[in-house]
Amino acid sequence: MSPFLFWIFAGLMLVFGAGVVLNRNPVASALSLVVSFLGLAALFMSLDAYFIGIIQVLVYAGAVMVLFLFIIMLLDLRAEKLRKINWLASAGGIAVAVALSVQILYVIGNFRFSQQPFPPLARSTVDDVHHVGSLLFENYNLPFQIIGVLVLVATIGVVVLSKRELR
Amino acid sequence: MITLGDYLIVSGLLFTIGFAGVMLRRNIIIIFMCLELMLNAANLSLVAFSRFRVDAGLPNYNAQVFVFFIITVAAAEVAVGLAIIVALFRARQTTHVEDIASLKF
Amino acid sequence: MIREYLPVLLQIIVAVGFAAAVLIVSVIVGKSGRRTRVKDTAYECGMVPQGEAQPRFGVKFYLVAMLFILFDLEIVFMYPWAVVYKETIGHSTLILWSMLSFISILMVGYVYALKKGALDWKK
Repeated sequence: MSPFLFWIFAGLMLVFGAGVVLNRNPVASALSLVVSFLGLAALFMSLDAYFIGIIQVLVYAGAVMVLFLFIIMLLDLRAEKLRKINWLASAGGIAVAVALSVQILYVIGNFRFSQQPFPPLARSTVDDVHHVGSLLFENYNLPFQIIGVLVLVATIGVVVLSKRELR
Repeated sequence: MITLGDYLIVSGLLFTIGFAGVMLRRNIIIIFMCLELMLNAANLSLVAFSRFRVDAGLPNYNAQVFVFFIITVAAAEVAVGLAIIVALFRARQTTHVEDIASLKF
Repeated sequence: MIREYLPVLLQIIVAVGFAAAVLIVSVIVGKSGRRTRVKDTAYECGMVPQGEAQPRFGVKFYLVAMLFILFDLEIVFMYPWAVVYKETIGHSTLILWSMLSFISILMVGYVYALKKGALDWKK
């Protein structure tokens, strides 16, 4: 991964991530979140995690954001433009966020591995889906089943919450 | 040359953007989107560390399995969270967090 | 290294250029600049439009969308499973049973949604 492409995708991700916060129209926020997630998927691929990048595009940029847009359309969120900004609260929020970012930058600056480049990978004949899959189904069987139960609970919760008159 | 620190800084900035969104915005759906941004920032640093800890020429795939689990749990969380938001909207006709103050004292 | 991405850049330029060209040409050829208030009103005795241009979606749509996401997660777990299945099944059948158990857990949710009528389109 060349530094040029890294900075392009990182910049894209951060600019559109800021767009999520700054846009007043929820639809515009959701669409900039999609672009931000695509930039993030590109960064995953630059870290040789191709499978995670694809999953990011499939699950987040594909399914989750469609659901967000559906909800925004469903709830018809346009009233927000009329509200005035509470400047004191905004200033407080920005101050806390700046303090957090300064703290993060300080910690990373003092982290002893942060200046080391990534070690090279061996030229492997099997792809990373293979590695993730064998690890998932050999070492992580129990968490996998627990994810199944979690998704089951989520399904039941969604049905109960959104069906007004249950049979 | 891109180092581990660069990825961590980008991840930290993304986390800060999400955090600022949670602090600044009052629309509950935007707050939810910003939560997703923060989760993804954590994923980015996990994958960066996975690539950094090379063992026998392979990245540490444990972290990638972990990220995979996080993505699935986050998607399930989005489905339930949005269902709760819709139920809230039906009850109160608003998605503005300052209008929902019944528990405040 | 960066040279390998030249086709991608080319494709981006073509895509953006095509979209921009279509927009510009439709403005020039369609003469969409000439609009007056009279032209935009409903014709003679037609109804004056009421309400919003964008109707709200029904609740059914988003219930189906949410269930779609939850079953999408199931499919996502099947990709790595399908990749490693062939070589792992030789020395242990655990991989088969774990996926079967996962699917049967999710099937409970599916049956529940069916029984509750979450997937009924009418009504």
